[in-house]
Amino acid sequence: MSTSESSLPQTLPRTGAGRPGNPAPRTGPARRRSRARRALTSPIAYLFVAPAIAIFGIWTIFPTLYTFRVSTFDWNQLNPAMSEFIGLGNYRDMLSGSTNPSFWQTFGVSCYFVIANVVVGTILALLLALLVRRGSKLMAAARTSFFLAYIAPGVATALIWLWIFNPRFGLANGVLSLLHLPVIDWLGDSRYAMLSIIVYSVWHEVGFLVLVFVGGLMTTSGELSEAAKVDGANPWQEFSRVTLPQLIPYVAFVVIISSISSLQAFTQFFVLTGGGPGYSTSTIGFQLYQQAFVLGNTGYGAALAVVLFLITLVLSIIQLRISARLSR
Amino acid sequence: MTVMRRTSARTAHSISSRISSAPTRRTVLAGAAASASALALAACSSGSSGSGDGDDSGSDAVPSFDPDAKTTITFMHAMASGDQKTALEKIVSDFGKDHPNVTIELQDQPDYGTLQTKTKAQVGAGSAPTIAQAYGNWASEYADSKVIVPLDAYAEADEDYADFAEAVKKDMQLTDGKIWMWPFNKSVVVVYRNAEMVKEEPKTWDDFAKVSKDVSKDGVVALSIDPGSAKGPAGGTALYEILAESMGSTVFADDGTPQFSEDGCVKALEYLVDLKDAGALAIASGYPGQEALGAEKGAFDVSSVASFPFNEQAVGGKFEMGVSALPEGPSGAANQLAGTNIVLFADASDQERAAAWEFMQFITTPEQQASWAAATGYLPVSSASLEQDAMKKVVEERPWITDAVKQLDTARALPPVTSVTEASGLLSVALQDALQGKAKPADALADAQKKA
Repeated sequence: MSTSESSLPQTLPRTGAGRPGNPAPRTGPARRRSRARRALTSPIAYLFVAPAIAIFGIWTIFPTLYTFRVSTFDWNQLNPAMSEFIGLGNYRDMLSGSTNPSFWQTFGVSCYFVIANVVVGTILALLLALLVRRGSKLMAAARTSFFLAYIAPGVATALIWLWIFNPRFGLANGVLSLLHLPVIDWLGDSRYAMLSIIVYSVWHEVGFLVLVFVGGLMTTSGELSEAAKVDGANPWQEFSRVTLPQLIPYVAFVVIISSISSLQAFTQFFVLTGGGPGYSTSTIGFQLYQQAFVLGNTGYGAALAVVLFLITLVLSIIQLRISARLSR
Repeated sequence: MTVMRRTSARTAHSISSRISSAPTRRTVLAGAAASASALALAACSSGSSGSGDGDDSGSDAVPSFDPDAKTTITFMHAMASGDQKTALEKIVSDFGKDHPNVTIELQDQPDYGTLQTKTKAQVGAGSAPTIAQAYGNWASEYADSKVIVPLDAYAEADEDYADFAEAVKKDMQLTDGKIWMWPFNKSVVVVYRNAEMVKEEPKTWDDFAKVSKDVSKDGVVALSIDPGSAKGPAGGTALYEILAESMGSTVFADDGTPQFSEDGCVKALEYLVDLKDAGALAIASGYPGQEALGAEKGAFDVSSVASFPFNEQAVGGKFEMGVSALPEGPSGAANQLAGTNIVLFADASDQERAAAWEFMQFITTPEQQASWAAATGYLPVSSASLEQDAMKKVVEERPWITDAVKQLDTARALPPVTSVTEASGLLSVALQDALQGKAKPADALADAQKKA
């Protein structure tokens, strides 16, 4: 649910979220402009940022622009000289749903995964964070154990879960058998395949989200909570009316970042289901790889990448807006 | 690439430093650009492909080899584990004794899927390996893009070529009738069984179904297969294609046109669905037949001859493992020629091509084929290999090998046509749908036919 680019919003409150009497120092527009001008006139500044700009340009900006170009071609990956310019042909194919699977089907599968993954992941992470927020050694061990799943490589853990979900010899069905419940073809039945992937994804990523929420909980005001308790609030009322409102910036951050990374998810689909059964787990991210690198439809794959880029861009802008609004 | 970043290990340190840092518009947009970058990095580098505009696919003539020139060639392959890896390294070592100035760099890939993706990425990036393993449908794409060289003149110059099995010779060609591939690891499909559970080998597919249903009880499911997925075909897809042929239809015409709705194709899927409904067939991914057989929860594994060492290891001496030829259907015996060939890339210099050709010829000498087959379970491509001591010993231990080698002359390979790659994925989806009960076999196949 997180990406390597993700980080907590600068605007998140460090203490006493948004409370009066503890305002963040405000910087006027004129002062900002003056500072920017000073930076631009310093050759040293350019020297400092040059490596970062070069790396960013070579590995991100140029390839991204190049993808836009490739998406307008019937691209020959093996011999680009044989590529043929087709304008918006790949996008027309996409929107008309004439590909296998259709774009709209993969879009629907992606939405299902993103929504379920984000909702379940966020709620579970919040609950776990509330459980392990205290600073005892046991709770620290629990936090570490959640995080261990997150730092374990995706392919390795997905392979372990492939065995857990094995319909004949897997742990999941072993447990069901012990409970005298009917066994399930977790990854081979289209009713359960996406559910199984969501279970894996939440397990793998929840550790990071727990850490975010634990960090958030540490910044909430203990005084307000105690005041609520003195006033007769029960634990649920204290959480829902005092703690949760203070955590809203963190929830917003988690939801947006999780949405972005869920859209880009690939490993679990590649290892666990290969996009199947049928196309029931073929997301845009998985189809991007399949079309571009396996089936040789590189131009169409690039068009999918562009659409994924635009969706992610919109989500990123929303995140920035929300963060800015919450910080005011 | 985003995908690769997600699969790499991330340290607690990097995470904590991320938490303490703040995002800027630039870093957030960097995340947005990640997926696009992934694709473009592969694509943009291809602008430097040495393949030019496609007219320069190299001369068809065999370049002359200079034994005194120091030459390094690269071989991208998927024989990267177990006995296969050791056997390939031995071939390279033996070759080095006669060719001290030629260095063969083996580029290991973990599986065929990765091999295909990696080969294409390297070719597109202008740094193709000298030679690589390839299936016919991959080679078709390479030839269409003019990145490999035809090998007709090479084959003419080889003294072992005339002795190659007929199906192997045919499998070296693309639909244009030219030879584009050189044989390497060839196999056909056989039936492995728990000989204590099933005493007699089934002679027909009807017998096979009857026995399978009889033994499927008390936690045993006679046969487990991987029907493949949208990602690509698997062992179960090959079994289905063989069944269809033994029931009178070929799944793909010689020119690669899908024929999924033909009568034999529908009957073959109905056969599998019937087994599934009777509890005699289980579906999973990977090598489920081998796993179930080894765990004594399966009676059969229908798989390539190359699975022999792996199956033997899975069984681990717990019971006697029988191996026999595939049962026959109403239209007689059918089998599928599997395994890959070697292609020679056009980017290589004349001396590299010549050295690679020396190596390719060396691989198919009867001595090397015999030792390769003895070590890996693959079949030797020429009958002369059977006369080698190493192979005689193998035949003595595994008499069924003789029948399997004979089938090299009649086994049918999938048509070497690029479109078969995508159509095979659609076929796998149809198999999944029918075996899941989501669609009737005829409807699932008709749907795949329509989309293909």
